[in-house]
Amino acid sequence: MAEAITVPQVRPVQPALRFLRVIPGVLLLAAVGYAGKLLEQNVGAYAKAHHWTFPNIEYVLWAIILGLLISNTVGVPELFRTGVATYEFWLKAGIVLLGARFLLGDILKLGGVSLILVAIEIVGSLAFMTFLGRLFKLKPKLTTLLAVGSAVCGVSAIIATKGAIEADDEDSSFSIAAILALGALALFTFPVIGHFLHLSDRAYGLWAGLAVDNTAEATAAGALYSDAAAKLAVLVKSTRNAMIGFVVLAYAIYWASQGQAKAVGNKAAFLWQKFPKFVLGFLLISVLATYHFFNKDQVGALANLSRWAFLLTFAGVGLRTNFSEMRKQGLRPFAVGAIGEVVIAGFTLALVYGAGKIFGW
Amino acid sequence: MSAEVEAGKTESRWKLSLDTWAVLAAFLLALLVRVGAFKHIPW
Repeated sequence: MAEAITVPQVRPVQPALRFLRVIPGVLLLAAVGYAGKLLEQNVGAYAKAHHWTFPNIEYVLWAIILGLLISNTVGVPELFRTGVATYEFWLKAGIVLLGARFLLGDILKLGGVSLILVAIEIVGSLAFMTFLGRLFKLKPKLTTLLAVGSAVCGVSAIIATKGAIEADDEDSSFSIAAILALGALALFTFPVIGHFLHLSDRAYGLWAGLAVDNTAEATAAGALYSDAAAKLAVLVKSTRNAMIGFVVLAYAIYWASQGQAKAVGNKAAFLWQKFPKFVLGFLLISVLATYHFFNKDQVGALANLSRWAFLLTFAGVGLRTNFSEMRKQGLRPFAVGAIGEVVIAGFTLALVYGAGKIFGW
Repeated sequence: MSAEVEAGKTESRWKLSLDTWAVLAAFLLALLVRVGAFKHIPW
């Protein structure tokens, strides 16, 4: 009983203080994101006025580049870090608001197709990453974390799995670093490959949603291609996210059967706890939009609110990516992740081509 | 069991995840747009 009394020693942070701590970082996200938007508008116009040949760089890429520059040169000061970490919050709020631009029929049609593709992608990716982990003689739990991170949804999946299978902190740091570094690379390579292969918005959106691991990077990779591709990438990525509970539960049961993790008691409660609630929010807003709860102007306003939320997210993607921190984590997990990602990108591209042929896109 | 521990349990029961906060914030914004508090959001 004495131990029980000594537990709550950590002084709770007052909600008001917690809110104040967030403000500097959120302002930094807004400043970097808005600077990206201004650069998109002005650099293109300036180059055109001076007859320069300059590629049209979207605000998404400017915001990420500015964030990367700050993070990898002067660094993000401690004062801003709590607020910068809210980029996940803006991402999820943005996805929920984006639901207003989807009609329920479209979600059911596209969601049905993407559900089949996602199921194939998850099974194929988990199997291949497990094979690679064994080939490179990585620790089994590290292999599990890398496999879940690549197959389902990046950092969130790794964190959820880490708790469920009782993996080491070091293993999860390795996996998160590898997944983040590869996500950053995907941002720059996917749009180039998509344009090179002349992929349609639909094919590219499906591909980005299936192959890019983190939701923020998948959204950004889609937005770098086109607005329509971003919409589809978010839908497919959300379908992948919805699978997180099932995959983590399967691994938790496996590791418990090996005597290396706690047994899962109430499986339904476990699934609900791991289920990404923003997917439900996205569906609910889409139902409301389908049944004309919002008029046309209001749908436009919600779409723009979603864009502003994504602007903060894209700034956060750049600001939280620090390559020197990632280098410290070592090469082997990164190599496994990189080989895995390349193969998964090729595999999912083949899936998208196959689906295009079957469904006549 | 001490009152402190009980209080800690009650607090954790009511603690919402980041996902849930994001959904609530998005719904609040959607409601404000619906009731006309925000007529036009520029981009």
